[in-house]
Amino acid sequence: MSESLNFLDPSVLAGLDNLELRARVVVEGFLSGLHKSPNRGFSVEFNDYRHYQRGDDMRHVDWKLYARSDKFYIKQYEDETNVRCVILLDTSASMAYSSGGASKLDYGVTLASALSYFVMRQRDAVGLITFDDEIRDYIPAKCRQPHLMHILRTLSKLKSGKKTNAVKPLTDLAASLNKKSFVILISDMLDDEERVIRTLQNLRGMGNEVITFQIMDDAELKFPFNEASEFIDMEEGESYITSPASIRKAYLENLNEFLSYCRKKCQSSGVDYCLLNTAMPLDEALSSYMAKRSKSF
Amino acid sequence: MVFLTPLFLIGLLAAAIPIAIHLIRREKPPKVMFSTIRFLKKTSKKLVLFQHLQQILLLLLRSLVIVLLVLAFARPLIDRSIARLLDVDPQSAVVLIDLSMSMQYGETFERAKTEALDIIGSMTSGDEVALIGFSDGAQLVSDFNSDLDSVRSTINEISAAGFGRTRYLPNLRLADQMLEESRFENRAVYLISDFQAADIEAFDETWKLAPGVAFTGIDVGLEESTNLAITDVRSPERLLENASEQEILVRVRSTGTVYLQEGDVSLIVNGEVIDRKSVDLGDRSEEVVTFSTAFETEGSYYGEIRIGGDAFEADNSYYFTVDVLPKISVLTINGEASENWYDDEGHWFGLAVGGAERSPFELVNLTPGELNEAVLRQSDVLVLLNVGNLTDDQTEIIVDYVIEGGALLVAPGDRVDPVSFNNQFESVAPALLEAQGLPNGNDYLVIADYDRRHPILRPIESDWSARFQGHWRLSPTQDSEVLMQFDNTEPALVERQVGDGSVILFASAMDLEWNNLPLQSLFLPFVHETLRHLVQPELKQKAYSVGDSFSVNLDENAGSVSARAPNGDEIIFTNTDFITQVSEPGFVTVEAGGAEMRFAINTLPEESNFARMPVENLFDSIINPDTNPIKSREVQNEQLAEELEQPQRLWWWILSLVMALVLVEALIANRTYR
Repeated sequence: MSESLNFLDPSVLAGLDNLELRARVVVEGFLSGLHKSPNRGFSVEFNDYRHYQRGDDMRHVDWKLYARSDKFYIKQYEDETNVRCVILLDTSASMAYSSGGASKLDYGVTLASALSYFVMRQRDAVGLITFDDEIRDYIPAKCRQPHLMHILRTLSKLKSGKKTNAVKPLTDLAASLNKKSFVILISDMLDDEERVIRTLQNLRGMGNEVITFQIMDDAELKFPFNEASEFIDMEEGESYITSPASIRKAYLENLNEFLSYCRKKCQSSGVDYCLLNTAMPLDEALSSYMAKRSKSF
Repeated sequence: MVFLTPLFLIGLLAAAIPIAIHLIRREKPPKVMFSTIRFLKKTSKKLVLFQHLQQILLLLLRSLVIVLLVLAFARPLIDRSIARLLDVDPQSAVVLIDLSMSMQYGETFERAKTEALDIIGSMTSGDEVALIGFSDGAQLVSDFNSDLDSVRSTINEISAAGFGRTRYLPNLRLADQMLEESRFENRAVYLISDFQAADIEAFDETWKLAPGVAFTGIDVGLEESTNLAITDVRSPERLLENASEQEILVRVRSTGTVYLQEGDVSLIVNGEVIDRKSVDLGDRSEEVVTFSTAFETEGSYYGEIRIGGDAFEADNSYYFTVDVLPKISVLTINGEASENWYDDEGHWFGLAVGGAERSPFELVNLTPGELNEAVLRQSDVLVLLNVGNLTDDQTEIIVDYVIEGGALLVAPGDRVDPVSFNNQFESVAPALLEAQGLPNGNDYLVIADYDRRHPILRPIESDWSARFQGHWRLSPTQDSEVLMQFDNTEPALVERQVGDGSVILFASAMDLEWNNLPLQSLFLPFVHETLRHLVQPELKQKAYSVGDSFSVNLDENAGSVSARAPNGDEIIFTNTDFITQVSEPGFVTVEAGGAEMRFAINTLPEESNFARMPVENLFDSIINPDTNPIKSREVQNEQLAEELEQPQRLWWWILSLVMALVLVEALIANRTYR
């Protein structure tokens, strides 16, 4: 496990230029540590029956079972059990922040790549939306192998953009989804978090599984600065001169209040929430997804 | 509070370093790109304010640490202590300021005033200060005064240095005497001067300041000075009209510490420039410039020699006067006239009076019978040469002439009848004729004694070697004065003032019959001086130096006298002798009895010499060996302060405070900065 974790170290992964390779290393490394995982059984061939309901297409009734049990059961086909996963990746200016290692955007790109690879490996369909203050890339969810390469190429060319506006892509996505989907939001949530979470709640209310990966840099979480400096907001361009040591405590309190708000609001509305430190390995994110995937589907 | 090493206080400027660093760094803090500043901006305003307060506090602490360190090194002393100690030992000081003419050079006098004010500034309350402004004498004396502001005012009121000569010793003696009566034991003399070397020879090695009197010499003179001075002028004082051209000699000398080679000299008479000559000293220290000019007409002339081309104006003029008098009219009555010169009684006298080319006399020779009042009234002096047959009317005319201001010279010979002479001239004659004194054989008389101070005889220094084989024994009247005696103690020359006139009686004839005086070299000056004395008043001195006392009234019968100083101010006389003392060069104009005359006042050549002496020489000359230790007020204060500072040890407490402040600073800085 420890060896595999080394491969999942973000700083090591950042050295790999090939994004496919990076995704494969992450996923394979992760899976090799799951020898006896109880989640190993889920498969695209899984079948199930349910009682007939008015409106169901009569062509889907399992007539053989009806002959044996004299009850109408609707046969659920394999394609219904496939996951449609849409990954929303925040590429706003704040995601470009790095305190030394991989930036939040790099981390997010790696995470999105790994998730895409992972999803495709499960024969699920995966799509990608990148956004800042508007949608920059939109790749519909598909499960064909060349599609993965399309996603990875898109991810490899990403550059940080402008301000964050996660509400718009989420709203657009909600309007376009006609099936239950797995929505993954990868963002630092440095936006109007109240509106973002409300939109996520709406998505969740529509029956979608929603998981939020909030990515924060280690420096953002610990605020290790000491020397009096002029801090410049990467999105707004505003500057603020302060002595960090004197306000560190207040900063951390403000930050934790923000993170706590995000976590509580997500959890209370059924949105999975996972705070990721760019200094931490990616397996936590994958575990989080896998747990959610196994529970939901 | 006072400081023992106040130079360290310059380090207080370093207190600005933290502020400067703060201001510099405040302008350029490092920039940090950060994802968002929303959590920074949400920090409490109180926290931000506190942060600013912390920064200001740190700033103040760091500056305070520097200030305290500087103060500790400056070794502070609580003022009250030293003030108390100084109160215990107050000082009596005499400040002498040189006001002689040399102090007018450049800004020397202004520097002297500044130094004097500095000395007063160094005094503390309780001290008493006396002030002496001096040159040859003390011109300004301000007695001991504890009101230092008043002393400052007195110093500020001194407008300029004068024209007097520097004389240190009498003024130092005066200061010493004043200190004897001062209130405090701590006594000091401050002498502010340019320390001219001219007066150092006047110091008496035996005189010293009183024991315990400290002396401080403050030299305000210039190391380099340039000056051309007139050290001497030779000019005639009195001339007779139609005199030949006169030479005026001017001696010019470079007297500054830096040799000045060139200049110019002008002769000005009655305000008109007569001549101007350039002076090139070359490789000599002095040069004589000669002017030639004529003073032909009768009257008084006021001359000035003015020098130019140097930096010292005060000594650039020399003033002199020349009086031109009319010729003296001499009427000679010859009692033994002859065609043959060797028998003529008036031959030798005539040669002496009118023989010279430009004789100051106009001679008229008459016989006794030709004498009348009209002729007599046109003459300044009547000379009777062996006249023995005058009528009573003629005698009466002569007596009246004398009493009304005329002059009479009588030289009786063998033709004079003593009885007749005595009867006729008893009222005016200085002496009566007793009998002819004719020594036997080859015996003779000589002049044995004479009044050397008399105006007639003073200029005649020659040996009286004339031999008198014949003479008249004289019996002087009570109001007459014997001016000359034979070796047998009989009078030879007698003078008497009668009315407004005067009469001189010579006890022998003025030819070779009774003596060989006419053959002597002194005969001519004797005759000239006698006639001039009878007619003209004695030549009075009309040239003085600055500071001299003199009477401006040359004519005792002049009546009202008024005088103006060279600057035009009227001179107020406080005495009936009209004696005054003039303190600046120029002409003193006097009106006496309707006549105007001038006195020339000149600067002293010693003051033009800028050669200097070291202050130490003067110090060594006057300081008393018993004045031990010789400490200036500053040294005393420093020693007292050090003694006081030892137990106080304020620096130790300050350093302890600095240590505490450094700790506090470290704690605060650790919370604020890395």
